[in-house]
Amino acid sequence: MSADAESRWPAVARDYVQAIADTKLLLGQRYGEWMLKGPNLEDDISGASNGQDEIGQVRQLFRLLEKQGVDRDWLETDREPAEYANAQPLDEEAEAWPTFMVQVALSDRAAWLLLDAIRHEDFTGMVQKMGEDEYFHLEHHDARLETLAVDQPEAVEAALERYFPGILAFIGPATYGAGEDPLVEADFTDRAVAEIRGAFREHYVDLFAGTDVTVPALTDDVPDPDEWDEKRRRSGDGHIDQRVADQLQGVTNREYVIE
Amino acid sequence: MSANTAGTGTAGFSIGPEEDADEFEQELWATVDEVPDPHIPVSLVDMAMIYDIEVDAGEVTVTMTYPCMGCPAYDMIQDDVRAVLRTVRGVTDVTIEVTWDPVWSKDMLTDRAREELRDAGIGL
Repeated sequence: MSADAESRWPAVARDYVQAIADTKLLLGQRYGEWMLKGPNLEDDISGASNGQDEIGQVRQLFRLLEKQGVDRDWLETDREPAEYANAQPLDEEAEAWPTFMVQVALSDRAAWLLLDAIRHEDFTGMVQKMGEDEYFHLEHHDARLETLAVDQPEAVEAALERYFPGILAFIGPATYGAGEDPLVEADFTDRAVAEIRGAFREHYVDLFAGTDVTVPALTDDVPDPDEWDEKRRRSGDGHIDQRVADQLQGVTNREYVIE
Repeated sequence: MSANTAGTGTAGFSIGPEEDADEFEQELWATVDEVPDPHIPVSLVDMAMIYDIEVDAGEVTVTMTYPCMGCPAYDMIQDDVRAVLRTVRGVTDVTIEVTWDPVWSKDMLTDRAREELRDAGIGL
């Protein structure tokens, strides 16, 4: 089912929602990978629950994208790794717990801020419902990061430096300020990317205040506006591994699918 | 806070057929009321997951929601609704529309659901 001309989103909005959906798809994957490897049972349970929430949210975002004319098979099972528009930090599986916590905390919060900025009527209630899930995700992340910032500040800071540029690229370039953000201009979102970038960093500055962890600065050339890919919300042509794409698409277990 | 905030709870919201629903619509509601939530011993109607049932020349549209967006029984529940409605004489097609407006809350549960949940040892 495709939207008629009146209800069709602008292309930039479809790309925006696609990037949020793919980021959530990869969040589900990364939570799943870590749900039996956390330092204690509560972390494992949280990982399993967060993964389920993310996949549930992906299902709804894909449903809207399909109504906008995006092919369902392409969304779910027929994509090359480089066609996923997930936040760049989620391209890789984190090798250690503090790294993983920073990876998913930054990605989940950024995705939520982008979702929360949407003002289009197709999202009425849906974003609010997603927020009910995200409240618990973000609370858990912050609590864990506060503890890790005390116990392993160097690991947390190293992960922040590693992932911050990719997350800023996912949020968008600093040049998208008030009056210059095409999504605000299209009345699809209610706040500019530059505002979201500021709110995002400020949250972590406050969270790590009083610890030895320093949050990377916001610089206007990260991402470089001239190299930034609006469709995949990143710079460069990196992507998830083929192995991960196969898992997301259920290639190995396709014979068990009930049609 | 998102600009996309929907109403929550029971204000202006009612479960079941409208007062002026004809016999056929009432039969459809009664039929869907036979479908249980697979997680707990309460029907989808009493769980306030069914927001609306419309019928147009045998083509039925059910508008429904879920308490949990990541419900693992998401498709199974829709299949159950389709299956039970297709047994009703006069129904030629069933379409399910999922909505999040208003956002489901336990305040919407019917009194019967509250009683059944309490009897099952589930606290609200």
